[in-house]
Amino acid sequence: MKLFSTYIKEMKIAFRGFYFYIEVVMAVIILTILLAAVKEDPVSKEKEFLFFDMDTEFVEMYFEEQVEAGTVKYVAPVEFDVKAQEFEITNKETGETESYSYKKDTIMFTTLEMYDEKTGELSKTVYLADTKEDMIRLSYQEKTIGATISLDENWQPNYKYYTQGYETERMQGLLYILHNESVATLKDAADSQTVRKLGETEVLNNRQNLIPAFIVLMGSMMGYFIVIAYVYLDKEEGVIKAFAVTPSAVWKYLLSKALVIMTTVTMSSSAIAIPVMGLQPNYLLFYLLLWISTFAFAALGLFIASFFDNMTKAFGVLFGGMMVMMLPALSYFIPSFDPTWMRYVPTYPLMQGFKEVIMVDGDANYVLTQCGIFLVGGIIIFLLANVRFKKTLTV
Amino acid sequence: MISVKNLSHSYNKDGKLAVNNISFQVEKGETFGFLGPSGAGKSTTQGILTGLLKLQSGEVEVAGYDVRRVQNKRFNKIGVSFEQSNVYGKLTAKENLEFYAKLFDVETRNPQELIDIVGLNGKENVRAGEFSKGMKHRLTFARSMINNPELWFLDEPTTGLDPAIAATIKDIIREQKAKGTTSFLTTHNMYIADELCDRVAFIIDGEIKLIDTPKNLKLQYGQKLVDVEYLENDKLIKKTFKTIDEADRNKLAEVIKKHDIQTMHSKEATLEEIFIQVTGRGLV
Repeated sequence: MKLFSTYIKEMKIAFRGFYFYIEVVMAVIILTILLAAVKEDPVSKEKEFLFFDMDTEFVEMYFEEQVEAGTVKYVAPVEFDVKAQEFEITNKETGETESYSYKKDTIMFTTLEMYDEKTGELSKTVYLADTKEDMIRLSYQEKTIGATISLDENWQPNYKYYTQGYETERMQGLLYILHNESVATLKDAADSQTVRKLGETEVLNNRQNLIPAFIVLMGSMMGYFIVIAYVYLDKEEGVIKAFAVTPSAVWKYLLSKALVIMTTVTMSSSAIAIPVMGLQPNYLLFYLLLWISTFAFAALGLFIASFFDNMTKAFGVLFGGMMVMMLPALSYFIPSFDPTWMRYVPTYPLMQGFKEVIMVDGDANYVLTQCGIFLVGGIIIFLLANVRFKKTLTV
Repeated sequence: MISVKNLSHSYNKDGKLAVNNISFQVEKGETFGFLGPSGAGKSTTQGILTGLLKLQSGEVEVAGYDVRRVQNKRFNKIGVSFEQSNVYGKLTAKENLEFYAKLFDVETRNPQELIDIVGLNGKENVRAGEFSKGMKHRLTFARSMINNPELWFLDEPTTGLDPAIAATIKDIIREQKAKGTTSFLTTHNMYIADELCDRVAFIIDGEIKLIDTPKNLKLQYGQKLVDVEYLENDKLIKKTFKTIDEADRNKLAEVIKKHDIQTMHSKEATLEEIFIQVTGRGLV
């Protein structure tokens, strides 16, 4: 009853306050951007840097069918200004390392545009280098995978990839299997795979793909920030002292703050997710993960707030924490950038969790595992915050 | 109702004590004044008694509870009126009191009744953020009575209030005393202490210098003078006689016997004068 009364009081204050409307306005802005500025169908800006280690006529033969089908078009050559560079390349098979050093230069690339067979929209731009070095240099500068394609003694194409070093194991494995394993090995591997039906709805469109990142950054991260703001507003008004001389326990005060954040995040996240996702997600799992993760982040905010007297003093830690928590968005939007340490930032598995939730055949076990981890973590941090607040709430 | 033995408290590790080995007791139904200038240790002592500050050294029992043990239910018996107003600015006066009423496990008073007795009637649905400083103070004072406290902590209850409102607040404190409420009044205003307190303690530099009733203090430390105005040969004469001096007493008796007395007032020392006399320090 005391918890409920405190929660109702906190909700009244939130509705009459400034921070609640920040969340609402942010949600409206994000929804507007998603609906008005983000196209559902992917518009690819994918680039590929290739070097064909063969005669020009074979290159033309390589693309001949696609040019005739209209899915590949030669366009005007593109000139790239390449910076002075120094780097090393390690051959993953032999372990040999070669050093490269180049001066600043301007390099011309034959350019092709590849179009989607069904939609006819541009899907990829391919830059063909005259030399292997040119391909490597541009690939290094543009931070994307490059490849050399040659013909073996049986006139079969041979592929050699130049990766950046931070690609996921999955991606590297995929490239390796794609071209280096025998057909028999591939067949065996394929037979041992669990095959899921690929339907139209299982693939997230551009707009839907942004939802997990926005939910995490807007929801949990804003909750983390706003709960701290709420505590400091109370400290400024001195009402914490008045609460401390009532029979109500400190944890009820703290939990009421977390519940308010969970309520407002539910509202703002629903306002973003429902119009974009419709009935596609598993909403039971969606809200379970949303509430648990928001609780965990609110607990983290409360814990941080217990160490500082006011918002100004807490700002450095608060801001630093938010920056770190935002980093996994890089991996989310640039899958080829996925360093191992990033996976230990809590928002990384959370984004993946929300992605699984909104997909039709998402991995419910993964989501439930994340729920369990965030719940246990959240409770531990909440208990620590409670201990800290008992000591510092009124000082 | 309150028992304090050898209480000491320090905010730093430099050994400097904000409160230094103080002991006192407050009996049930008593109004006990804790008097001293700013920084004397009044707020620290009250903070420990109300549980807002952790007990470091000594033994403290409040309303039957040992403050070293965290027992929130003790606050059902306690009311605290803070010097600095601390109400929710975004809630109305009534919402503030209604919320606090729900935090107690005992029967609480009607919020509207409390609003009325502190003179905020008609303002119950106005957000406290729009209140003047004095109105916020009255709301804070009203909130401290929401649970019908047996033990009432009052920190500068009339500071910043106009005389009429201050008089009302003093009347409320007297009414509560008549109902048997024990009050622990912290103030640097000696006139209020003199009017309301059964006993007072003088605290300075963290140490209690004396504890006694205002009457005893005046008797012990006052000069015991009598100011007399009388007519002598149609001329108004003003004289002051020391009642502890035998020669003066005889002169006073003679004046009363022989002359037409116009006015006669016994003159006692104020608590403030006694405080300065005892501690050698003023109250600011």
